[in-house]
Amino acid sequence: MANVKIDNVVKRYGAVQVMHGVNVDIEHGEFVVLVGPSGCGKSTLLRMLAGLEEISDGTISIGDKVVNGVSPKDRDISMVFQSYALYPHKTVAENIGFPLKMAKRPKAEIDEKVTRAAKILDLAHLLDRFPKQLSGGQRQRVAMGRAIVRDPQVFLFDEPLSNLDAKLRVTMRVEIKELHQRLKTTIVYVTHDQIEAMTMADKIVVMRDGRVEQIGAPLDLYDRPGNVFVAGFIGSPSMNFLRGKIASADGAKQFASDSGLRLPLPDTGAPDGAEVIYGIRPEHIGVSADGTAGGVPVNVVVVEPTGSETQIFAKAGGDVIDAIVKDRIRAAPGSQIHFVIDPANVHLFDAKTEQRI
Amino acid sequence: MHSNRLGWLLLAPTMIILFFFGVVPFFYVIWVSFHQWNPFAANPNMVFNWASNYRQVVFDAQLMASLGVTFAFVFFAVVSELILGYLLAQAFMKDFPGKAFFRTIHTLPLIMAPIIVGSIWKLMTTPSIGIIPSLVQSWFGLDLNIGQSALAAFTVTVVMDIWHWTPLVTLSLIAALVSLPPDPFEQAQIDGANKRQIFWHITLPMIAPAVVATVFIRLMDALRTVDEVLMLTGGGPGSATRYIGVHIFKEVFPRTNYGYGSAISVVVLYMTIVICWLLYVGLIAPRNTKKG
Repeated sequence: MANVKIDNVVKRYGAVQVMHGVNVDIEHGEFVVLVGPSGCGKSTLLRMLAGLEEISDGTISIGDKVVNGVSPKDRDISMVFQSYALYPHKTVAENIGFPLKMAKRPKAEIDEKVTRAAKILDLAHLLDRFPKQLSGGQRQRVAMGRAIVRDPQVFLFDEPLSNLDAKLRVTMRVEIKELHQRLKTTIVYVTHDQIEAMTMADKIVVMRDGRVEQIGAPLDLYDRPGNVFVAGFIGSPSMNFLRGKIASADGAKQFASDSGLRLPLPDTGAPDGAEVIYGIRPEHIGVSADGTAGGVPVNVVVVEPTGSETQIFAKAGGDVIDAIVKDRIRAAPGSQIHFVIDPANVHLFDAKTEQRI
Repeated sequence: MHSNRLGWLLLAPTMIILFFFGVVPFFYVIWVSFHQWNPFAANPNMVFNWASNYRQVVFDAQLMASLGVTFAFVFFAVVSELILGYLLAQAFMKDFPGKAFFRTIHTLPLIMAPIIVGSIWKLMTTPSIGIIPSLVQSWFGLDLNIGQSALAAFTVTVVMDIWHWTPLVTLSLIAALVSLPPDPFEQAQIDGANKRQIFWHITLPMIAPAVVATVFIRLMDALRTVDEVLMLTGGGPGSATRYIGVHIFKEVFPRTNYGYGSAISVVVLYMTIVICWLLYVGLIAPRNTKKG
């Protein structure tokens, strides 16, 4: 177990710079998720941690040791690849025991540790099988078994669940989290799936275009996204954004969208006329059928009932806003309903810098 | 039904050609091998003589000597080609300036007819005019004369075979290496394997099917080498390079001993099949049964 320090790391491919001074501090035993859209550099950063990519500038330390020039085999890390990277010609037992065999551990010790790992991961009955005889979920578990046998300082996971079907992904998510709670080893986990990030992480690092956009605990990122990108990326379905200005009416501040909507505002220091982006999450919008509770009149475009909740896409002025409510709303497309917004749930961003106000 | 008949119709030309050029000569050789047949002997007709040609095979001291040098030749040639071919394939996996050029150049020997290869090497090894004896003389102070030294002749035939056929090994191993997924190799680095361990535990097992197939091809080819060696040394000096193919050639053509030559051919074919079968049983079958 160890802490990891990524200090001002830069990556260049020839003249093209793809990583622009990334700083991340990972505490010992922490579960950190690197998340971002494809091409944001999260996998590159993980591969730099693993030693599979060189670092053009800056330092990476594992424990107290700077590992910039250290080869992967000497970093004392384990990695689970998206493809699982199992050795196709080796049995499950040989796959799991491979790191120990390379470390020239005695055979009795290898057998014992493989058996223990297989037991933890429910693979005991599959030890003699070959990878091609396993299902996706079983392969995934073998890859994890191979990662845990050697008791590394840091686990690295590179989108380990993205090849699994939706149901299995949820199961494995729980298993990985449980494994972390049991082993308490530092984990760095890469994903493009913000749900995975939210549910598993102690700390999320949101990346875009080779830069860190925000670092924080999952709920902090959800409650106080630092900019429009993070606000839109974290949370599903994504936050509604409206462009407009701050205006005063009846002595209270309001938001006036470019399309003519008037929406309630929280207390901010933003002056009248300031150009802002107004963000409200779909799940923070209430629906009132007749408008008795106030609210903004909108025209229903599409209603998507999923059983537990109902998602409503509605047009207000020129903007389409979506809302999610627990009630079962029956609203015909084209009919008018009212969206109720609590100012406390509104996020305001500067229109130019896209930073939170 | 219709498409089935069309299929046979389309296959027919190939099958007819294969039948006349493959199946018929094969059975004809077996047929001839049971006869005494020498068109220039007192009785030029084919005379059925049961298995006496095969009996003669067993007591043919020259044949046994030929088999001995053939196995030595095949062993040294194929093993060297494998090692050299693998190293070249690995070199061609990396990027370096002029890679495409060198890759093309290095396959040139492959497209040469063996008889041409034999002539070229004969020119290069002829004492006093050849470049090879001259270089060997100036580098090592040795007098290389393949017309006199059995060891020199044997070595030169092996080197010639390596020169001719290593590119085939390289090409098939490049194909195997290119198709390997990169992830297990990165995984192996992370799992703590050094380069040597990665080769033995990951690379070699993963390209093993291609290696075995290449060994099969090279083994069968090397066992029936004739024209290059005939051209270069004529099987000499003495019978130092009278490999089995050369031996059969000399029995069948200069000595027109058709029946006996056919019998040796059948025996050699049988041995080739047995060797390949042993290789298959030893190398491929266990992997297949293990994988179920």
